[in-house]
This record gives sequence, C-alpha cells and structure tokens, in this order.
Amino acid sequence: MQSKTPENNTSSFWRITSIGLLVTSIVAALLFMLTRQYVIHQAEKNIQNLMLSHRGIHQYIQRTMHPTFYGLRDRGEVPDTFYAPEIFSSSFIVRTQHRYYNEERKAAGLPELYYKMAATNPRNPVNMADPLEAKLIKYFNDHRDKKNYREIVKIDGTKYLYYAMPFLLTAERCLTCHGKREDAPLGLQALYPGEGGFNEKAGVYRAIESIRAPLEEEYTAVYIIVAALLSGFLVIQFLVFFNNRLHRKVAIRTKELEMENGERIKAEEALRQLNIELEDRVNERTIALAAANKELDSFAYSVSHDLRAPLRGIDGFSLALMEDYSDQLDNTAKDYLLRIKSGCTKMGLLIDDLLKMSRLSRGELNKEQLDLTSMAREISASYQAQHADHEIDFTIAPDMTATGDPTLVRAVLQNLIENACKFTSKKSEAKIHIGIDTTKSPRQYFIKDNGAGFNMEYADKLFTAFQRLHKATDFPGTGIGLATVQRIIHRHGGKIWAESKENAGATFFFTLTMEPQAKRTSAPNGEKNER
Amino acid sequence: MKGKVILLVEDNPDDEMLTLRALRQNNIMNEVVIARDGAEAIDYLFGQGNYADAPIILPQVILLDLNLPKFNGFEVLEIIRADPRTQTLPVVILTTSNEDKDRMESYSLGANSYIQKPVDFKQFSEAIRQLGIYWLVLNQYP
Repeated sequence: MQSKTPENNTSSFWRITSIGLLVTSIVAALLFMLTRQYVIHQAEKNIQNLMLSHRGIHQYIQRTMHPTFYGLRDRGEVPDTFYAPEIFSSSFIVRTQHRYYNEERKAAGLPELYYKMAATNPRNPVNMADPLEAKLIKYFNDHRDKKNYREIVKIDGTKYLYYAMPFLLTAERCLTCHGKREDAPLGLQALYPGEGGFNEKAGVYRAIESIRAPLEEEYTAVYIIVAALLSGFLVIQFLVFFNNRLHRKVAIRTKELEMENGERIKAEEALRQLNIELEDRVNERTIALAAANKELDSFAYSVSHDLRAPLRGIDGFSLALMEDYSDQLDNTAKDYLLRIKSGCTKMGLLIDDLLKMSRLSRGELNKEQLDLTSMAREISASYQAQHADHEIDFTIAPDMTATGDPTLVRAVLQNLIENACKFTSKKSEAKIHIGIDTTKSPRQYFIKDNGAGFNMEYADKLFTAFQRLHKATDFPGTGIGLATVQRIIHRHGGKIWAESKENAGATFFFTLTMEPQAKRTSAPNGEKNER
Repeated sequence: MKGKVILLVEDNPDDEMLTLRALRQNNIMNEVVIARDGAEAIDYLFGQGNYADAPIILPQVILLDLNLPKFNGFEVLEIIRADPRTQTLPVVILTTSNEDKDRMESYSLGANSYIQKPVDFKQFSEAIRQLGIYWLVLNQYP
C-alpha cells in the first residue's frame, strides 16, 4: 500500500519550497550584511590610509618646516614680516595637495574624494565647520578615546562613506600662530585681519578632518559577491532538496518493498501452514484408513475361520450320517442330507468368493506394464483344459497391453472370461472375442460372447454383489464375481459397463486408466506405485 | 526313540472328531494325542504340566491348527523350532485360513506343510489321507 497520496506530495513540495525560500532570504540578508560590512570596512581602511597620509604631511609641515623657518627667521635670514599660507598653513597645503590628488584620481578614472578640514574658529572661511562638524569637534573633545567617526550618507541618490578624525591636538608651539593676535608673526597678522584662528588654547581639538568617498563600486561588489554566494547556496540547497527527495522516494519504495515482501512471506507462511495442516489431515486419514483396513483384514480373517469351521462340521457330520447310518435312513432322509451338503458347498464357495473380493479390494496396487494378450490366452487355455466338454472358439487380439496390478487385472480377465465361458455353455458354437479398441481414449478392452446375454433393463444390477440376472439352476454362481471386477477396475481409475441382448450375447467393456483430462495425475510410464 | 504318535493340536471338537474320523477312514491307525490349546501341546512335547509324570513320546507328525487359545499355532511352532529336542519334528499346519499372510508366516517359521481344511468333508478326508501317506509312510526322518 502506498502511504503517500499525490496531494500529500504536492503539499510537502510547497512546504519544502517555502521553507527553502525563507532560509534563502535569511541567508541572503546575512550574506548581504556581512559582505557590506566587510566591503565598507575595506573602504574605511582606504580612507583611513589616505587620512593618515594627509596627517603625515601636517606633521611634516608643523614639526619640520615650521622649526626650520623659525630658525632661518631667528638668524635673520628671512625678514620678520614674511608669511605665506602656501608655505606655513598646513590646512592650506594639505587642501591644495588633496586637490592635486583628486586631479590625479580623475585622470586615472577614479571618483573624486571630498576632503575638508573644519574648525569652529577658522582663519579661512572655507574651513568653517557646519553644525554637524561642530558637533563632531565637541564630541571628540568630550570623548578623547574616540579616534574616528564614520557614517554612510546618501546624497542625490548616491551613497557615500563619511569618515572623520580629530585634527592634531593643539600644542603649545601652535599658539605661536594661534594664540593671541599680538603674539603672532607680523606677516600673519597682516594677512588675516579678523580674529579667526586666534585665541586658541593648547590641549584641545580645534578642528576635524573628514573625507567623503562614494560607495558605488563597493555596493556593486557586495551585490556580486552576495549573488555569487547565494547562487552557490541555492545550488547546494537544490541538490540537498533533490537528494532528500530521492532519499525519501527510495525510503518509500524500500518500505513498500518490505511490506510487499512481508505480505509475500506471510502468504507463503500461510500456505506452508495450510500444507502442513493438509499433510497432517492426510496422515490422519491414512492412519484411520490403515486402521479401517486392518479391521477389515481381521474381520475377513475371522469370517474365513469362524464361518467355515461350523460349515465343515455340518458337512462332515452330514456325510458321517450318510456313511455310518445309511442303513437306518430312508431315501427322503438321505435326500435331506444331500441338500444339507449341497447348501454347505454353496456357502463354502460364497465365503471363498467374499474373501476373494475383500482381499482383492484391499492392499496396495502395484502397477506395472501388463501383457493382456498372454493373460487372456493362459486363462482361456486353462478353462478349456478343465472343461473339455465345452468347446469354445476364442479370438484374442494380439499386443494388448495395459498398466495395472498384475494379480488384480488377471482376476478381472479371469472373471470376465470365465463368465463369458459360463454363459456360452449352452451354445453349440460358443464364440468369445477378447479385444481392444485403441481409437478410444482411454483405450477400451472388451470381452464379447455369443452366450445367453441379459436384459439391458437390469444392466445396473450387474455389478452389485449377490445380484444375479440368471437362475442359479441355469448358470451357477455366487453373484460376487462382477462386483469384485468392478471394485478392481475402480481402484485402477477405470470404468466397466456391458451391452447385451437376451439370447444374443453380451459384451463387457472396461478401461484401466482415468479419463484423459485427469490423465496427468497418473504416472506416464505407469511404473508408479499407488495406494 | 520316536513312537508312531500323531499330535493333533485342535481346539474345535467338531474338527477334532472329523479329523479323527478322516484318519480312521483312511486306515491311519496311529495313536493320536490331542492337545486342545497351544499350551497343552507344549506341555506334551516337553513333558511338563499334565504330562510331567509321563515319559516323553515325540510324535511322528504334528497337525497344528493356527487359531488356538493361549499360545496360537505360530507361537507353538516357534517354540518347537527353537528347542533342539523338537526342532526337527515335522509340523503340518492344518487350518481353515487360506490367507497368504498365514501361509507365508507358517513357512517362514519352519512349517513343513500347509493344508487348508476344505469345507467339503470328502476333500478334507482326501487331504488327510495324503498327508498320512506322506508323513507317516513315505517321509524319511533325519
């Protein structure tokens, strides 16, 4: 039995598909997040590098160029009034340097990076901090452990990475130019008339530097990586799904096969059980039959002894009377004694025939190939020898063969032939034909005579024990012969019947095997022993 | 030394009488000892029981019925053939049975002859005559 209906299969397909989609979405989201984080981290590193490179230039200006310049000035090699932002202002220099850097990038086909130094109190208004930058300056001053700030911003639909660092902490030496106005170099004072950039204090961050870089390429990279990983994942998922399906199919089929196998084993077991039961029953029957046969045996034995012994007494003493007291008996008494003796003889024959019938229908059938022609010749010759006064014209077909028990089949032939002899005994030209009809299947044997025959009206009584169709005075007999013959033929699986007309002879037909359709059950060569 | 005794082992008095009559009719005048069952026959042959005081006179021939009280004919035959004193005695089975089985068993146990008692007394008498001539006159003993 199939445990899965098609509907079940469909619903399970959709369940699995939806679970797959959900898992895929979660994995895609995770992949996207991780990849973006990684890519942005890389972008941040690049910006940080650039920023640190800029800081290197700031440091160089402040810690190498400025002391060199002050040394030259102190030795009077440059005038006190000299000041040029192109040489002194690190913000100016780095901003300009960054402009050149962008030009180089542009030439190389790379997007420009926006750079700004922002201060709340700048000397040059281009460096003026917007409110966010001002907030960041305050933030870095308030949280000295924070070294940078980053944020992804969207401007005109394009995403940018915004990266900011506090500018170099204002040192004592910086106050030369950023302290009080009157302390600053004269050239500087002359160049910047306002208060911007003055009155600063040491130990604070007075500015931030920031770079803003477009993230277009990075996002493209994220999408490509995510797509690649996701398609890989989908392929794996697909493989896993079909593998599972395959596994499930195999499992279902295996289970089905196991069940089929189980059912077959059960059926076989039942069949075996049935066979055992049948065998047991056959054995029981066989034992019962054997017992019944044994009982019959002992019954026949008793009959043979116990019925015959008194009969012998009657016969013997009747004769003794006749012989020893004949002078005291009149003719009537002698006639009575003769009748007694005749009765004894008949009863003796009857007992003998009964015993013969019982014996012939018991015991095993030992089937073998038989030569019926020879048997018939022997029987007829023997009869002829014993009844020289009754001449019979025998016609015996050659090459008549049969399969059967030799003793029993001989008894059949003997009975039928002797019957034919008996009923032709009053014919002057007695003829008996023993033949075979091989055109019939199974082949039919027949014994045909031209004797007294019988009325077909009584044909059904022919084979019944003690039923006689003729007066005993006409044809003597016990009425058991044909009953015995029929029993023997039935035991061989054959049939016997007769056709006749009164005073026009009789023909007895018999077969020795079963009807053709049942023929398979008997051994083809006839060598098989049957019970 | 063997006497000319016939041992008739027969339980049926009618058969006993008829057998005796047949013997007389055929002028067989030997002494006939009658045992009415198997045990009595054994007692006679080995001088025991009722025959303990009498001298043993082994019979010239034993006429043995098969259907007997106590020991049946087969058992008697077996005992006779098992003992060196009696094993050469001629034993003729004289029975009503004409079963193959009985005949086969009798001969295989060592019977010398097997005769079915016919119902017809004339035939019976003839059989007795012939066995008398054979076993009492013609046969040479070991």
